[in-house]
Amino acid sequence: MAARNALLRHLRVNVNASLLKDNIGARESALPFTVLLRRFSDEVRGSFLDKSDVTDRVISVVKNFQRVDPSKVTPKAHFHNDLGLDSLDTVEVVMAFEEEFGFEIPDNEADKIQSIDLAVEFISSHPQAK
Amino acid sequence: MGATKLSGMQKQVLSLYRGFLRAARSKTTEDRRRIEMIVSTEFHKNSKEVDRKNFQYIEYLLRLGTKQLDQLKNPDMVSISSIKVVTSKT
Repeated sequence: MAARNALLRHLRVNVNASLLKDNIGARESALPFTVLLRRFSDEVRGSFLDKSDVTDRVISVVKNFQRVDPSKVTPKAHFHNDLGLDSLDTVEVVMAFEEEFGFEIPDNEADKIQSIDLAVEFISSHPQAK
Repeated sequence: MGATKLSGMQKQVLSLYRGFLRAARSKTTEDRRRIEMIVSTEFHKNSKEVDRKNFQYIEYLLRLGTKQLDQLKNPDMVSISSIKVVTSKT
């Protein structure tokens, strides 16, 4: 039994490594990548969210923000220049993203998120975003 | 107001603000909303009233805020009393 377990563990490590390696070239197309990841067990947390899905959710979070005029929210809107938010409001918006996507954004990253497209970029490239 | 480049002090203030909002998450929904309202009002008020070159005073406020945040992080703290201190002292 112990030997079988050891063997299985060993095999899985191998499979992970080779599949990921094969897939690096195919990263551009988001779909095959996520489909491949689904073959792994839940332990392998690494699925990236679809960019257009992230954009929609980010936009709806910003639209629900009390100090924002929803009609001004566009996929490229800058929090300060286009939406008139100050740096404190921006902190609140980024914290709201944390809750929407269920992961914590460290301070130095959060300070860089100044617009909707930057937020989408960051969240869709973050493996822990849900 | 520095939309792209933040000074070190601005970063400290934003980081403190983030700390307060994080601490508020651990409270009940009602307390949380109240804390967020008070903290947000306080920070916005100071951001308008305090001269951005008055470094000494801002440093003082940062120290004060850090202390209050530490108190708020205590799970026994039922927010209101500690938060009232925020408004009255500053």
